[in-house]
Amino acid sequence: MAETEEPTGPPDTLIDPIEMSKLDHKFREEIHSMPNGEELSACFACSTCTAACPIANIWNYKPHQLIRMILLGMRDEVLSSNEIWLCLTCFQCQERCPQKVRVTDIFFDCKNLAAEEGKVPPTIVGLGKELLEKGQLYTVTADWEREDLNLEPEVPGLSVDPVKDILKETRTGRLVGGGK
Amino acid sequence: MPVYNLYMGCSVPANYPNYEAAMMKVAEAYNIQLEYMDGVACCGSPNLRAIDYDGWLAVNARTLAIAEKNGHDIVTPCNGCFGSLKDVYYHLKHDAKYREKINAILKKEGLEFKGTIIPRHFVEALYTDIGIEEIKKKITKPLDGVGIAIHYGCHLLRPEDVTEFKPEYLDELIEVTGASVVEYPLWKQCCGATVLPVDENLGIRLARDKLKSMKESGAKYVTVVCPACGNQLDLQQLGLKESYKEEYNLPVLLYPQILGLALGMDEAEVGLGMNRVPADSILEHLTG
Repeated sequence: MAETEEPTGPPDTLIDPIEMSKLDHKFREEIHSMPNGEELSACFACSTCTAACPIANIWNYKPHQLIRMILLGMRDEVLSSNEIWLCLTCFQCQERCPQKVRVTDIFFDCKNLAAEEGKVPPTIVGLGKELLEKGQLYTVTADWEREDLNLEPEVPGLSVDPVKDILKETRTGRLVGGGK
Repeated sequence: MPVYNLYMGCSVPANYPNYEAAMMKVAEAYNIQLEYMDGVACCGSPNLRAIDYDGWLAVNARTLAIAEKNGHDIVTPCNGCFGSLKDVYYHLKHDAKYREKINAILKKEGLEFKGTIIPRHFVEALYTDIGIEEIKKKITKPLDGVGIAIHYGCHLLRPEDVTEFKPEYLDELIEVTGASVVEYPLWKQCCGATVLPVDENLGIRLARDKLKSMKESGAKYVTVVCPACGNQLDLQQLGLKESYKEEYNLPVLLYPQILGLALGMDEAEVGLGMNRVPADSILEHLTG
Protein backbone atom coordinates (compact mmCIF):
# COMPACT_ATOMS: atom_id res chain seq x y z
CA MET A 1 0.00 0.00 0.00
CA ALA A 2 1.32 3.38 -0.95
CA GLU A 3 2.07 6.02 1.67
CA THR A 4 -0.83 8.41 1.80
CA GLU A 5 0.46 10.89 4.36
CA GLU A 6 3.62 12.95 4.23
CA PRO A 7 5.49 12.84 7.57
CA THR A 8 5.17 16.09 9.48
CA GLY A 9 7.40 17.32 12.32
CA PRO A 10 10.40 15.53 13.78
CA PRO A 11 10.35 11.72 13.98
CA ASP A 12 9.14 10.07 17.19
CA THR A 13 11.97 9.17 19.54
CA LEU A 14 11.97 6.81 22.46
CA ILE A 15 13.87 9.17 24.70
CA ASP A 16 14.40 12.90 24.87
CA PRO A 17 17.21 14.23 22.68
CA ILE A 18 20.57 14.13 24.42
CA GLU A 19 22.15 17.50 25.15
CA MET A 20 25.67 16.91 23.90
CA SER A 21 27.17 19.88 25.71
CA LYS A 22 26.08 18.49 29.06
CA LEU A 23 27.82 15.15 28.67
CA ASP A 24 30.60 14.34 31.09
CA HIS A 25 33.14 12.32 29.17
CA LYS A 26 35.04 11.45 32.32
CA PHE A 27 32.05 9.63 33.81
CA ARG A 28 32.79 6.35 32.07
CA GLU A 29 36.38 6.44 33.33
CA GLU A 30 35.13 7.23 36.81
CA ILE A 31 32.89 4.15 36.85
CA HIS A 32 35.51 2.11 35.07
CA SER A 33 37.96 2.71 37.90
CA MET A 34 35.46 1.84 40.61
CA PRO A 35 34.98 -1.62 42.17
CA ASN A 36 33.93 -4.14 39.54
CA GLY A 37 33.56 -1.44 36.89
CA GLU A 38 36.31 -2.70 34.58
CA GLU A 39 33.97 -4.56 32.21
CA LEU A 40 31.71 -1.53 31.66
CA SER A 41 32.88 -0.75 28.13
CA ALA A 42 32.32 -4.33 26.99
CA CYS A 43 28.56 -3.61 26.88
CA PHE A 44 27.19 -4.01 23.36
CA ALA A 45 23.67 -2.91 24.31
CA CYS A 46 21.96 -6.25 23.72
CA SER A 47 19.56 -5.44 26.61
CA THR A 48 19.69 -8.93 28.11
CA CYS A 49 20.07 -7.20 31.49
CA THR A 50 16.74 -5.47 30.94
CA ALA A 51 15.08 -8.73 29.95
CA ALA A 52 16.41 -10.31 33.16
CA CYS A 53 15.29 -7.49 35.47
CA PRO A 54 12.03 -8.28 37.30
CA ILE A 55 11.09 -4.62 37.61
CA ALA A 56 12.49 -3.01 34.44
CA ASN A 57 8.90 -2.58 33.27
CA ILE A 58 8.42 0.23 35.78
CA TRP A 59 11.76 1.92 35.12
CA ASN A 60 11.90 5.00 32.89
CA TYR A 61 15.54 4.23 32.20
CA LYS A 62 16.02 0.49 31.69
CA PRO A 63 19.18 -1.22 32.93
CA HIS A 64 20.80 -1.37 29.47
CA GLN A 65 19.95 2.28 28.94
CA LEU A 66 21.57 3.25 32.22
CA ILE A 67 24.74 1.45 31.16
CA ARG A 68 24.62 3.24 27.80
CA MET A 69 24.03 6.57 29.59
CA ILE A 70 27.14 5.95 31.68
CA LEU A 71 29.15 5.28 28.54
CA LEU A 72 27.80 8.44 26.92
CA GLY A 73 28.59 10.54 29.99
CA MET A 74 25.07 11.36 31.20
CA ARG A 75 26.33 11.70 34.75
CA ASP A 76 23.59 13.92 36.21
CA GLU A 77 20.77 11.87 34.76
CA VAL A 78 22.20 8.59 36.08
CA LEU A 79 23.14 9.83 39.53
CA SER A 80 19.84 11.66 40.00
CA SER A 81 17.75 8.74 38.79
CA ASN A 82 15.37 6.94 41.10
CA GLU A 83 16.13 3.71 39.25
CA ILE A 84 19.52 3.13 40.88
CA TRP A 85 17.78 3.15 44.28
CA LEU A 86 14.98 0.88 43.12
CA CYS A 87 17.48 -1.77 42.02
CA LEU A 88 16.64 -4.95 43.93
CA THR A 89 20.31 -5.97 43.94
CA CYS A 90 19.10 -9.41 42.84
CA PHE A 91 22.03 -9.71 40.41
CA GLN A 92 19.92 -11.31 37.66
CA CYS A 93 21.11 -8.71 35.11
CA GLN A 94 24.71 -9.33 36.06
CA GLU A 95 24.33 -13.09 35.98
CA ARG A 96 22.96 -13.07 32.44
CA CYS A 97 25.18 -10.46 30.82
CA PRO A 98 26.93 -12.20 27.90
CA GLN A 99 29.72 -9.63 28.10
CA LYS A 100 30.31 -10.15 31.82
CA VAL A 101 29.48 -6.54 32.64
CA ARG A 102 28.90 -6.42 36.39
CA VAL A 103 25.68 -4.45 36.00
CA THR A 104 24.42 -4.68 39.60
CA ASP A 105 27.87 -3.87 40.97
CA ILE A 106 28.04 -0.85 38.67
CA PHE A 107 24.70 0.39 40.01
CA PHE A 108 26.21 0.09 43.51
CA ASP A 109 29.08 2.27 42.28
CA CYS A 110 26.55 4.80 40.94
CA LYS A 111 24.75 4.86 44.31
CA ASN A 112 28.03 5.57 46.06
CA LEU A 113 28.76 8.47 43.69
CA ALA A 114 25.24 9.78 44.22
CA ALA A 115 25.70 9.42 47.99
CA GLU A 116 28.93 11.42 47.80
CA GLU A 117 26.81 14.25 46.39
CA GLY A 118 24.18 13.75 49.10
CA LYS A 119 21.61 12.31 46.68
CA VAL A 120 20.21 9.49 48.83
CA PRO A 121 16.54 8.69 49.54
CA PRO A 122 15.72 9.80 53.11
CA THR A 123 14.68 6.26 54.13
CA ILE A 124 18.12 4.94 53.20
CA VAL A 125 19.82 7.75 55.13
CA GLY A 126 17.57 6.61 58.01
CA LEU A 127 19.05 3.11 57.80
CA GLY A 128 22.53 4.65 57.84
CA LYS A 129 21.52 6.52 60.99
CA GLU A 130 20.39 3.28 62.64
CA LEU A 131 23.74 1.69 61.85
CA LEU A 132 25.65 4.71 63.09
CA GLU A 133 23.72 5.03 66.34
CA LYS A 134 22.97 1.39 67.17
CA GLY A 135 25.58 -0.56 65.24
CA GLN A 136 22.86 -2.76 63.81
CA LEU A 137 19.63 -2.61 61.83
CA TYR A 138 17.62 -4.86 64.18
CA THR A 139 17.87 -5.03 67.95
CA VAL A 140 16.54 -7.86 70.12
CA THR A 141 13.43 -6.64 71.91
CA ALA A 142 11.50 -9.84 72.61
CA ASP A 143 14.22 -11.56 74.64
CA TRP A 144 11.65 -13.86 76.27
CA GLU A 145 11.12 -15.46 72.87
CA ARG A 146 14.80 -16.32 72.81
CA GLU A 147 14.68 -17.70 76.34
CA ASP A 148 11.66 -19.86 75.48
CA LEU A 149 13.86 -21.48 72.85
CA ASN A 150 16.77 -21.97 75.29
CA LEU A 151 18.81 -19.23 73.65
CA GLU A 152 20.69 -16.55 75.56
CA PRO A 153 18.44 -13.48 75.95
CA GLU A 154 21.23 -11.27 74.56
CA VAL A 155 23.09 -12.33 71.43
CA PRO A 156 26.36 -13.82 72.69
CA GLY A 157 29.41 -11.83 71.60
CA LEU A 158 27.46 -8.86 70.24
CA SER A 159 29.52 -5.68 70.34
CA VAL A 160 28.11 -2.67 68.51
CA ASP A 161 30.65 0.04 69.35
CA PRO A 162 33.38 -0.97 66.88
CA VAL A 163 30.87 -0.84 64.00
CA LYS A 164 29.69 2.59 65.11
CA ASP A 165 33.29 3.78 65.40
CA ILE A 166 34.13 2.67 61.86
CA LEU A 167 31.03 4.27 60.33
CA LYS A 168 31.60 7.57 62.15
CA GLU A 169 34.78 7.98 60.12
CA THR A 170 33.43 6.93 56.74
CA ARG A 171 30.73 8.36 54.47
CA THR A 172 27.88 7.14 56.70
CA GLY A 173 29.02 9.57 59.38
CA ARG A 174 29.13 12.44 56.91
CA LEU A 175 25.74 11.59 55.36
CA VAL A 176 23.91 11.21 58.64
CA GLY A 177 25.73 14.10 60.30
CA GLY A 178 24.98 16.36 57.36
CA GLY A 179 21.28 15.77 57.84
CA LYS A 180 21.26 17.21 61.32
CA MET B 1 34.01 -32.38 64.74
CA PRO B 2 33.90 -29.34 62.42
CA VAL B 3 34.21 -26.03 64.26
CA TYR B 4 32.99 -22.69 62.90
CA ASN B 5 32.79 -19.06 63.86
CA LEU B 6 29.08 -18.38 64.07
CA TYR B 7 28.15 -14.96 62.70
CA MET B 8 24.52 -14.24 63.53
CA GLY B 9 24.09 -10.73 62.14
CA CYS B 10 21.21 -8.69 63.54
CA SER B 11 18.01 -9.96 61.98
CA VAL B 12 18.01 -13.65 62.91
CA PRO B 13 18.54 -13.11 66.68
CA ALA B 14 15.99 -10.28 66.77
CA ASN B 15 13.29 -11.61 64.45
CA TYR B 16 13.90 -15.32 63.95
CA PRO B 17 15.08 -16.94 67.18
CA ASN B 18 13.27 -20.05 65.93
CA TYR B 19 15.72 -20.16 63.00
CA GLU B 20 18.64 -19.74 65.39
CA ALA B 21 17.35 -22.41 67.79
CA ALA B 22 16.62 -24.94 65.03
CA MET B 23 20.04 -24.35 63.49
CA MET B 24 21.78 -24.87 66.83
CA LYS B 25 19.84 -28.11 67.39
CA VAL B 26 20.61 -29.42 63.92
CA ALA B 27 24.29 -28.54 64.40
CA GLU B 28 24.30 -30.42 67.70
CA ALA B 29 22.75 -33.48 66.05
CA TYR B 30 25.62 -33.64 63.56
CA ASN B 31 28.40 -32.71 65.99
CA ILE B 32 28.96 -29.36 64.35
CA GLN B 33 30.45 -26.89 66.77
CA LEU B 34 29.09 -23.37 66.22
CA GLU B 35 30.87 -20.77 68.33
CA TYR B 36 29.23 -17.37 68.57
CA MET B 37 31.72 -14.76 67.38
CA ASP B 38 32.94 -12.29 69.91
CA GLY B 39 32.99 -8.54 69.29
CA VAL B 40 30.88 -8.33 66.13
CA ALA B 41 27.58 -6.71 65.11
CA CYS B 42 25.60 -6.04 61.91
CA CYS B 43 26.99 -6.53 58.35
CA GLY B 44 25.30 -3.32 57.22
CA SER B 45 23.26 -5.02 54.46
CA PRO B 46 23.22 -3.94 50.79
CA ASN B 47 21.98 -0.55 52.01
CA LEU B 48 25.33 0.20 53.59
CA ARG B 49 27.10 -1.01 50.47
CA ALA B 50 24.97 1.46 48.47
CA ILE B 51 25.81 4.56 50.47
CA ASP B 52 29.21 3.82 52.00
CA TYR B 53 31.35 1.31 50.17
CA ASP B 54 34.43 1.83 52.34
CA GLY B 55 32.46 1.60 55.59
CA TRP B 56 30.78 -1.59 54.39
CA LEU B 57 34.13 -3.10 53.38
CA ALA B 58 35.69 -2.17 56.71
CA VAL B 59 32.85 -3.51 58.88
CA ASN B 60 32.83 -6.87 57.11
CA ALA B 61 36.60 -7.13 56.71
CA ARG B 62 36.76 -6.63 60.46
CA THR B 63 34.43 -9.59 61.02
CA LEU B 64 36.55 -11.72 58.69
CA ALA B 65 39.75 -10.59 60.41
CA ILE B 66 38.39 -11.53 63.85
CA ALA B 67 37.49 -14.99 62.55
CA GLU B 68 40.95 -15.39 61.05
CA LYS B 69 42.46 -15.23 64.51
CA ASN B 70 41.21 -18.71 65.45
CA GLY B 71 41.45 -20.06 61.94
CA HIS B 72 37.90 -21.37 61.61
CA ASP B 73 35.59 -20.51 58.72
CA ILE B 74 32.58 -18.31 59.40
CA VAL B 75 29.08 -19.68 59.01
CA THR B 76 25.96 -17.52 59.00
CA PRO B 77 22.26 -18.36 58.68
CA CYS B 78 21.45 -15.09 56.87
CA ASN B 79 21.69 -14.51 53.11
CA GLY B 80 22.26 -10.80 53.69
CA CYS B 81 25.24 -11.41 55.96
CA PHE B 82 26.47 -14.16 53.65
CA GLY B 83 26.27 -11.83 50.64
CA SER B 84 28.08 -9.02 52.45
CA LEU B 85 30.84 -11.21 53.84
CA LYS B 86 31.34 -13.09 50.58
CA ASP B 87 31.39 -9.94 48.47
CA VAL B 88 33.87 -8.25 50.76
CA TYR B 89 36.02 -11.36 50.93
CA TYR B 90 35.99 -11.61 47.13
CA HIS B 91 36.78 -7.96 46.62
CA LEU B 92 39.59 -7.67 49.13
CA LYS B 93 41.10 -10.93 48.04
CA HIS B 94 41.37 -9.61 44.47
CA ASP B 95 42.18 -5.95 45.07
CA ALA B 96 45.47 -5.26 46.83
CA LYS B 97 44.96 -1.49 46.78
CA TYR B 98 41.64 -1.68 48.60
CA ARG B 99 42.98 -4.32 50.96
CA GLU B 100 45.68 -1.88 52.04
CA LYS B 101 43.18 0.95 52.46
CA ILE B 102 40.79 -1.13 54.58
CA ASN B 103 43.56 -2.71 56.64
CA ALA B 104 44.68 0.80 57.58
CA ILE B 105 41.25 1.25 59.21
CA LEU B 106 41.40 -2.16 60.93
CA LYS B 107 44.89 -1.50 62.24
CA LYS B 108 43.44 0.76 64.94
CA GLU B 109 42.07 -2.37 66.56
CA GLY B 110 45.17 -4.40 65.81
CA LEU B 111 43.32 -6.39 63.15
CA GLU B 112 44.28 -7.31 59.60
CA PHE B 113 42.33 -8.94 56.78
CA LYS B 114 44.44 -11.63 55.18
CA GLY B 115 41.80 -13.80 53.53
CA THR B 116 42.75 -16.99 55.31
CA ILE B 117 39.24 -18.16 56.25
CA ILE B 118 36.10 -18.39 54.14
CA PRO B 119 32.65 -17.01 54.95
CA ARG B 120 29.97 -19.62 54.33
CA HIS B 121 26.23 -20.08 54.62
CA PHE B 122 25.13 -22.58 57.22
CA VAL B 123 23.34 -24.76 54.67
CA GLU B 124 26.41 -24.89 52.43
CA ALA B 125 28.60 -25.98 55.34
CA LEU B 126 26.04 -28.62 56.21
CA TYR B 127 25.94 -29.84 52.62
CA THR B 128 29.67 -29.81 52.00
CA ASP B 129 31.21 -30.72 55.35
CA ILE B 130 28.63 -33.20 56.67
CA GLY B 131 27.27 -34.39 53.34
CA ILE B 132 23.96 -35.86 52.24
CA GLU B 133 24.91 -39.45 53.15
CA GLU B 134 25.72 -38.58 56.75
CA ILE B 135 22.70 -36.32 57.04
CA LYS B 136 20.48 -39.16 55.86
CA LYS B 137 21.76 -41.60 58.47
CA LYS B 138 20.24 -39.63 61.33
CA ILE B 139 16.83 -39.01 59.83
CA THR B 140 14.24 -40.94 61.82
CA LYS B 141 11.04 -39.25 60.74
CA PRO B 142 11.26 -38.61 57.01
CA LEU B 143 8.58 -36.51 55.35
CA ASP B 144 6.07 -38.27 53.13
CA GLY B 145 7.06 -36.67 49.83
CA VAL B 146 5.08 -33.50 50.42
CA GLY B 147 5.90 -30.73 47.93
CA ILE B 148 8.12 -27.90 49.14
CA ALA B 149 9.05 -24.86 47.07
CA ILE B 150 12.53 -23.54 47.78
CA HIS B 151 13.20 -19.83 47.84
CA TYR B 152 16.99 -19.75 47.66
CA GLY B 153 17.32 -15.97 47.85
CA CYS B 154 19.32 -13.71 45.55
CA HIS B 155 22.35 -13.17 47.73
CA LEU B 156 22.80 -16.89 48.28
CA LEU B 157 22.94 -17.60 44.53
CA ARG B 158 24.39 -14.52 42.91
CA PRO B 159 26.83 -13.29 41.76
CA GLU B 160 27.71 -16.92 41.11
CA ASP B 161 31.47 -16.31 40.93
CA VAL B 162 31.30 -14.65 44.36
CA THR B 163 28.85 -16.86 46.28
CA GLU B 164 29.98 -20.20 44.81
CA PHE B 165 26.64 -21.64 45.91
CA LYS B 166 24.72 -24.04 43.69
CA PRO B 167 20.92 -24.35 43.97
CA GLU B 168 21.32 -28.13 43.87
CA TYR B 169 22.74 -28.03 47.40
CA LEU B 170 19.41 -26.93 48.83
CA ASP B 171 17.46 -29.22 46.50
CA GLU B 172 19.35 -32.21 47.87
CA LEU B 173 19.05 -30.97 51.43
CA ILE B 174 15.27 -30.86 51.03
CA GLU B 175 15.07 -34.23 49.25
CA VAL B 176 17.07 -35.97 51.97
CA THR B 177 14.32 -35.06 54.46
CA GLY B 178 11.88 -37.07 52.36
CA ALA B 179 10.09 -34.03 50.93
CA SER B 180 9.84 -33.32 47.20
CA VAL B 181 11.15 -30.15 45.61
CA VAL B 182 8.44 -28.28 43.72
CA GLU B 183 9.81 -26.47 40.70
CA TYR B 184 8.17 -23.15 39.89
CA PRO B 185 8.78 -20.57 37.16
CA LEU B 186 9.90 -17.70 39.40
CA TRP B 187 12.40 -19.72 41.45
CA LYS B 188 15.21 -17.28 40.73
CA GLN B 189 13.22 -14.17 41.41
CA CYS B 190 13.82 -11.73 44.25
CA CYS B 191 11.46 -11.72 47.27
CA GLY B 192 11.39 -7.92 47.19
CA ALA B 193 12.88 -7.34 50.64
CA THR B 194 15.66 -5.00 49.55
CA VAL B 195 13.35 -2.52 47.84
CA LEU B 196 10.95 -2.11 50.80
CA PRO B 197 12.64 1.04 52.19
CA VAL B 198 12.34 2.80 48.83
CA ASP B 199 9.05 1.45 47.45
CA GLU B 200 6.99 -0.68 49.79
CA ASN B 201 4.24 -1.49 47.31
CA LEU B 202 6.77 -2.78 44.82
CA GLY B 203 8.28 -5.01 47.50
CA ILE B 204 4.84 -6.40 48.32
CA ARG B 205 4.10 -7.00 44.65
CA LEU B 206 7.29 -9.02 44.25
CA ALA B 207 6.50 -11.18 47.28
CA ARG B 208 3.07 -11.79 45.87
CA ASP B 209 4.44 -12.79 42.44
CA LYS B 210 6.66 -15.31 44.16
CA LEU B 211 3.93 -16.83 46.34
CA LYS B 212 1.55 -17.00 43.40
CA SER B 213 4.12 -18.83 41.28
CA MET B 214 4.80 -21.33 44.09
CA LYS B 215 1.14 -21.95 44.82
CA GLU B 216 0.20 -22.40 41.17
CA SER B 217 2.97 -24.94 40.81
CA GLY B 218 1.51 -27.07 43.55
CA ALA B 219 3.72 -26.24 46.53
CA LYS B 220 2.27 -27.10 49.92
CA TYR B 221 5.10 -25.51 51.90
CA VAL B 222 7.92 -23.07 51.31
CA THR B 223 11.42 -23.10 52.71
CA VAL B 224 13.78 -20.15 53.10
CA VAL B 225 17.28 -19.69 54.50
CA CYS B 226 17.20 -15.96 55.17
CA PRO B 227 15.32 -13.78 57.66
CA ALA B 228 14.60 -11.02 55.12
CA CYS B 229 13.18 -13.52 52.62
CA GLY B 230 11.27 -15.08 55.52
CA ASN B 231 9.62 -11.75 56.30
CA GLN B 232 8.63 -11.26 52.71
CA LEU B 233 7.17 -14.70 52.12
CA ASP B 234 5.74 -15.53 55.56
CA LEU B 235 4.82 -12.30 57.33
CA GLN B 236 3.84 -10.57 54.10
CA GLN B 237 1.13 -13.18 53.47
CA LEU B 238 -0.80 -11.58 56.32
CA GLY B 239 -0.53 -8.20 54.58
CA LEU B 240 -1.63 -9.64 51.23
CA LYS B 241 -5.00 -10.44 52.73
CA GLU B 242 -5.48 -6.67 53.05
CA SER B 243 -3.65 -5.27 50.05
CA TYR B 244 -4.58 -7.85 47.41
CA LYS B 245 -7.50 -9.63 49.13
CA GLU B 246 -5.65 -12.85 48.51
CA GLU B 247 -4.95 -15.76 50.84
CA TYR B 248 -2.14 -18.12 50.05
CA ASN B 249 -2.01 -20.22 53.24
CA LEU B 250 1.49 -21.35 52.34
CA PRO B 251 3.42 -22.13 55.52
CA VAL B 252 7.04 -20.94 55.30
CA LEU B 253 9.67 -22.87 57.24
CA LEU B 254 13.30 -22.09 57.84
CA TYR B 255 15.30 -25.01 56.45
CA PRO B 256 16.69 -26.24 59.81
CA GLN B 257 13.12 -26.49 61.10
CA ILE B 258 12.30 -29.03 58.40
CA LEU B 259 15.49 -31.02 58.91
CA GLY B 260 15.06 -30.81 62.70
CA LEU B 261 11.58 -32.32 62.52
CA ALA B 262 12.86 -35.10 60.26
CA LEU B 263 15.55 -35.75 62.87
CA GLY B 264 12.82 -36.38 65.41
CA MET B 265 12.78 -33.02 67.19
CA ASP B 266 9.45 -31.80 68.46
CA GLU B 267 7.72 -28.67 67.23
CA ALA B 268 8.71 -26.61 70.28
CA GLU B 269 12.41 -27.37 69.80
CA VAL B 270 12.35 -25.91 66.30
CA GLY B 271 10.09 -23.02 67.35
CA LEU B 272 7.31 -23.89 64.93
CA GLY B 273 4.82 -21.80 66.93
CA MET B 274 6.62 -18.61 65.86
CA ASN B 275 6.00 -19.06 62.14
CA ARG B 276 3.44 -16.47 61.01
CA VAL B 277 1.40 -18.62 58.66
CA PRO B 278 0.54 -21.60 60.89
CA ALA B 279 2.93 -24.40 59.97
CA ASP B 280 1.83 -27.15 62.38
CA SER B 281 0.24 -29.15 59.56
CA ILE B 282 3.73 -30.23 58.49
CA LEU B 283 3.73 -32.61 61.48
CA GLU B 284 1.09 -34.68 59.68
CA HIS B 285 3.59 -35.28 56.89
CA LEU B 286 6.21 -36.86 59.15
CA THR B 287 6.46 -40.63 58.91
CA GLY B 288 8.41 -43.22 60.84
